[in-house]
Parts: sequence; structure tokens; C-alpha cells
Amino acid sequence: MLHRRVFQFFIVYLLGIGLLFGIKLALNLSDYVIPGPTGVWHTGQAEFSRYMGDVLDTFAVAVIGQVLSILMALGVGVAGRRATWFGSFIKVAAYNVQAYPIVAIAPILFILLGDGFLTRLFIAAMICYFPLLLSVIGIMSEPVVDIEHFYRVTGRLRWQLEVKIRAFENLHKLTTVISGSATLAMAGTIVAEFIAANAGIGYSIRIALYQSDLSKILVALFIIGITLSLYQGILELLGAGLKKAWAAG
Amino acid sequence: MKTRLAFPRITAWILLCVVGSSLISADPALAKEKIAYRLKWLINASTAGDVFALDHGFFSEQGMDVAVKAGGPERDAVRELELGYAQFGVASADQVIRALAKGASVVVLAQLFQVNPLQWIYRADDFSLTRIQDLAGRTVGITYGGNDATIMRALLATVGMDEHQVRLASVRYDYTPFFQNQVTIWPVYRNTQGIFLSDKLAAGGERVAFFDPSEHGVRFVANSVVTSTQMMDHHPQRVGRFTRALLAGWQAAMAPANESAVIRAVAKYDRDTSEAVMRRQLTATRQMIQPDPDIPIGHIDATAWQQTEQIMIRQGLISGPVNVIGRLRRHHAP
Amino acid sequence: MIACRDITFRYPGAEAPLFDGLDVTIDKPGFHALFGPSGVGKTTLAKIISGDIDNFTGQVEAIGGMRCLYTYNRERLPGWSSVGRHLEKTTPPGRQLLRDEFINHFGLAKLMGMRYSQLSMGQCNRVNLLRYLLQDFSILIMDESLANVDEPTRQTILYKIKSIFPKAGFLYISHNVVEVARFCDQIVVFRGAHQSPQTCRINGQDHREDRPLDKTALERSMLEIMHAA
Repeated sequence: MLHRRVFQFFIVYLLGIGLLFGIKLALNLSDYVIPGPTGVWHTGQAEFSRYMGDVLDTFAVAVIGQVLSILMALGVGVAGRRATWFGSFIKVAAYNVQAYPIVAIAPILFILLGDGFLTRLFIAAMICYFPLLLSVIGIMSEPVVDIEHFYRVTGRLRWQLEVKIRAFENLHKLTTVISGSATLAMAGTIVAEFIAANAGIGYSIRIALYQSDLSKILVALFIIGITLSLYQGILELLGAGLKKAWAAG
Repeated sequence: MKTRLAFPRITAWILLCVVGSSLISADPALAKEKIAYRLKWLINASTAGDVFALDHGFFSEQGMDVAVKAGGPERDAVRELELGYAQFGVASADQVIRALAKGASVVVLAQLFQVNPLQWIYRADDFSLTRIQDLAGRTVGITYGGNDATIMRALLATVGMDEHQVRLASVRYDYTPFFQNQVTIWPVYRNTQGIFLSDKLAAGGERVAFFDPSEHGVRFVANSVVTSTQMMDHHPQRVGRFTRALLAGWQAAMAPANESAVIRAVAKYDRDTSEAVMRRQLTATRQMIQPDPDIPIGHIDATAWQQTEQIMIRQGLISGPVNVIGRLRRHHAP
Repeated sequence: MIACRDITFRYPGAEAPLFDGLDVTIDKPGFHALFGPSGVGKTTLAKIISGDIDNFTGQVEAIGGMRCLYTYNRERLPGWSSVGRHLEKTTPPGRQLLRDEFINHFGLAKLMGMRYSQLSMGQCNRVNLLRYLLQDFSILIMDESLANVDEPTRQTILYKIKSIFPKAGFLYISHNVVEVARFCDQIVVFRGAHQSPQTCRINGQDHREDRPLDKTALERSMLEIMHAA
């Protein structure tokens, strides 16, 4: 699973960068518009360790943001799963919060939380949590009638059991969504760093953009991509392991 | 009989008109050249001459149909020249020098700002910055990777100061750290943001002053008009006509008598700035576009370009000389 | 035991009502059946009796002091524990011996360590029925609960249920006319929505393990059922 993820990323990255080099060659563009392979290679050698550190910094925030958003989505999803007034209120509130574009909220966050860790974390969690919430609400509000019937008619169906049944029956869907949300968490953190932080790979990309240095951006994208592929692969492995362990009692 | 003849006659006239109009529009001598002109930033007082030239027919007079396109952080005129998305553009000197260092073929046609509007604002009542050394121990805002960072480093280097002797703070578009006095010296475009910030602080009873790098020997060139070498070589007349029209537009826009007309032209695009503020922005802009009446608008200050290149080499922003002087087209007569 | 009076019910979106003034009465405890072709309303009536469907008009009385449970053949057990562990957790206190007895009689002893997903369909149905039999109920409606179970095992299970729960009421939904005629006491035969009356009641043989089977009477019951349907 892990090696497949990494392999797939390499294919996508190489295709992308190959396309860029192809365009450069076909249109005879300068290194300023699209850097050549040597330029990218040299930039990679020069910047790899610094960018790797930045990516890991971003990654750490993304992981914490993702965990937070999973907890938030589970909390809201479980609370909002029933077609009650409260359930509907929770859903509407959650949707409304998400409706505000994060770039508009960023200055307020900047004032409240400064340009450090908390702002990055908050933005990452906000960007990551909504798709998770939709999936969790979708899963949690859909009864697994064939299993729940017995517990319901015998008066055993407590909310914890209901959540457990629905989570177990949709474990594959949940792990896929959680694994997919890793990308969003990382993208969210990078956006946060781009607009309201002084650290992380998003901040470095912003500087590279100021300097019109596409080589640096390509190197950053490579490290971000490889880190995300590994992380997603690990999440999928964890999901499969969890299902196996849970199913094995 | 008459009725019968009327239909073929009308048809013949329509055909004649259609054919005639298509012949007229196909005549290259009569058709206007379509030109895309990419600005460096959004349209405001800093682009007054560009929009004035467009709105008052300066380009049309030269037979050109110019689309003045607003710039932005993600826009890069030099790239667009090479990709053919624009034929002319506005780029900062460091952008041009970086592009040259990476093999781009770009030519500088005119230097719009004789004084770089990128300066630092501070509260005049708190301290005064008469020398570079006065920055020591203070919190100075810079945009890491941006022009201001390069300029500040160059300033410090001129007096042999170490970066650690000042507290450099990373800034972006949000001014809160300056308002809260966390960053006391803040980089601004003197003629646009500078006016707005002065007003804001004045409302709170605070006076401001500006720290201008050019007064301390660092003349880092700002916005200039550029085109591709290919355009220059293959269509020199087109380049000449465009430059003439543009600089004539700037000339007219900077004439105090045209101020109201300029404000109307800019206000079409910049709806958030009040007329009063824009007037003051234009006054500041005038002093930067033509600080000396003897120096024509668009004059390329080769010494400043050379200095800009040297600064970038010293700071390792380019690996070696690019001979930017060879890419400056010295001319002008609006 | 069960009295349904003047039941009228229409599924949302359906053109015609499924039941229009339906009356069904089962007047004593025991093992009874709902019989008829697919789509005539056996499951719907079962759900009306058990309370799973409540948007009908008419009256339902189910007497017995305890609840009426409805179980059907597609029910599943959660996949996170073994069959044995699940049965342990769902067995009310004091019924462990009964559970073990059922496990043996239902032929499930070897399956206790297995996951529900590892069982065959017949095994699944037996396990599901077993856990319902361990609960408190006055009436248990078994909707094709022994589908996919082989004939001898089904017979053993039905004899066992009848011997252990002589005072409870069972409503057995099945398409097997022989089985219904043989094991059930009163058989409510559904004749379709457009026939009047919609149902009729036939007496079955209510056969038990310790009694001889009157084959002629069985055949007669079967003919009556077929004729009524």
C-alpha cells in the first residue's frame, strides 16, 4: 500500500514535471519562465534539507489540525446525526462556519492568535474538517437497519452502540475520507502559512514566489507530495490494521 | 415592375456594404494593433499614467488597441512577455535582473519611477530616522523574499551594520502589528499605502515620517516598462509608438491641471479610494515620477540600475553579472 | 392473542391501499402462520402488529403482557465480535442454560468462535433467531427466519420452539405450504388486496415432536391453504 502510494506519486510528479520541460523545450522558454532540469536539480540539492525541515514543520501542524478536525467532525457528526431540532441546528451552524472563506477570516485570526502556530493550526483544521463532517454526518445519519433492528426492538440501542455500529459498518469509507483529508489538512496548513504565518513550507513558497523562483516551488512540491503520499499510505495501513484488529475482536 | 426590381437592388446594396466593410476591416493599415499591457500591481495612483493614456486616447492616436491589465502578486509581466500573453508590461528592476539571470530576453523601455516608492513609515513622535544607524535595535518590518528585504539589507550593508543589530520582523498586507506598535518601522508604498496609513494615524493624533532608502544612497530601481527582445528586434516601430503613447499619457497624467481627469480615470478601476486621498496620492506620485523637471518622464537611470544589479549580486540573489545596462533602451521623447 | 380490526394502510406513493379494512384475529397462543404469495402484505401486517409501522388506521391488540418482537431473515450481527461473544452479551441474565440448549439443538456449537460474516446464510438465520428467542416476548414474529436452513434442522428447531414456549404466540411467515400446514396451528392466508375478504384463516396440524402426524389431515390442510390463496 505504502510503496504503491509513493510509486503513484512519482509517476504523477514525473509526468507533471516532464510536461513542463516539454513545454519549455517546445516553446523555447527561458529558465525564468520554466526552469530546466539542471536548474531544478541544483535547487533541489541546495534547498532540500531546508525545505524538508519546513515541510516537516508544516506536516506536524497538519497532523495536529487533522486530528482536531476529525474530533470536531465526529463530535458534530454524532450530535447532528438525528433529524431533531438540535441535530439540524448543529448541522446548519457547522455549514455556516464553513461558508466563510478562510482568506477573509485569516486577518481576524491574525489579530486574535498572532501569526504563529495557533493560526496555522486553526486554518488547517477549518479547511480539513468540512469534508470530514459531511462524510461523518452522512455515515452517522444513515441507520444500519439490519444490525440495529435487534438492538432497537430489545431496547439496547444506546447512542454509543449506534455510533459504533455505523462507524464499523462504514470503516472503509471513514478511513478513505480520513486519509483523503490529510491532503486537505496539509493544503490548509500551507494556505495558512502563505497568508498568515512566518514558518513552514507555505511561507517558503511565498518567498520563492516573490523571487519568481519556480525551481524552488517544484522542489517544495516534490517534498510535500512525497511526505503526503507516505502519510496517506500510513493512514491507509492504519485503517486496514484497525479494521482487522476490530474485526478480530 | 418597380416592386420586382426593389428586392435585387436592396440585396446588391447589402452585399456591397458587407464586402466593403470586410475589405476595410481587413486592411492592416486601418486596423488597430491589439496590444496587451500587463501592469505590476492593481490599478491605483501608481498606474495613473497607464490608465490615463488608455482613457484619453493616447494609444488610439498611435493606432493601437491596448488592453491595460491589472497586475497582482501572482502576475509576472516578464513571464507573460515570453509566453506571448502580453506584448508590454511593467516589472520591478529586481524582477528584470532575475529574469535576465535566467536567460529571459527582456528589454527595459522606460523607468516610470525615478524614486522608489518603497519606503518605511514610522511614528515621528516616537523616534527619528536620520541615519541608517538609527535603525539599530528597532523592529523593522520586511517582506522576506520581497524587494524591501533586499533594500533593507543593502541599507544595512552600506554602513557595515549586521542584520542582527536590528530586529527584522516578517510582514504582509495586514498592518495590525504596526498599529499595535509591535513593528515600529513598516514598509509601505509611500505614494499609496503611505497616504492611507498617515491618515489613519493622524486620526489618532499621531504624526508619521518616512524613511527613504534613496536618501541614504540605496537607489533600488522600481517599476519600469519592459518588452521582449523579439518585439524590440522585429517591431521597433510598434515599440516606439507604444512607448511614446505611454509616456505621453504619463506626462499628461502628471500635469496638475489634469488631476481631476486623472482621478476620474483611476477611480473607474480603484473604487475604494476616496477622491481626497487619491489627490494626495497623486501629489506624492508626481514627486516620484518626475522629481526633477529637467529629467524627462520615463528616464532610465542607468547608475541606479547598475547599483540594483550590484546589490543583488552581493546578496546572492543572482549568481553573477547580467549586464543589465545592455538591456536598457535609452531614448525618450514623449 | 392478536386482534387486528379494520386496518387500512397505504405505502406512501402507492396508488391503492395495501389493506382496506383488514380484520385478522389469532385467538390463542401457539405457533401460527401468515401465508401468501410475495407482495400481499404479510411483512407489512407483521410490522403493524409489532409496532414497526404506525401510520395506519384501525386497531391492533396484542395481548400477553410482554412485547411483540419482529425478526426477519436479513438481519445481521455486528462484525466486531464472534457469534459466541455476541450471544453472551445479548443473553438476558438467567438464560445462559437456555442459550446453550438452543445452541446445541440449532446445531450452532461449532460456530461460536466464528464471525457472523464467516457463516452461511442458513447459519446466519439460525443465530439471529436464537438471540431473539432468548429475549422477553409475548409474541415473536418470524419473517422467513428459517430461510436457507435445511429441512431436518428446521424441523428440529420448530419442534424445540413449540416445546419450550407453549404459552407464547408465534407468527411464522413462510412460503413453504407443507411446513406451514404441518407445524402451524392457525394459518392466516393472504388472498391479495383486491379480494374480499383479504384474508381467511385455515387450521393447520400444529404438529409436535411427541405426536404422530395425520398425513390425510395434513394434505387436507394443504389443499385448504392452496384453495384459499
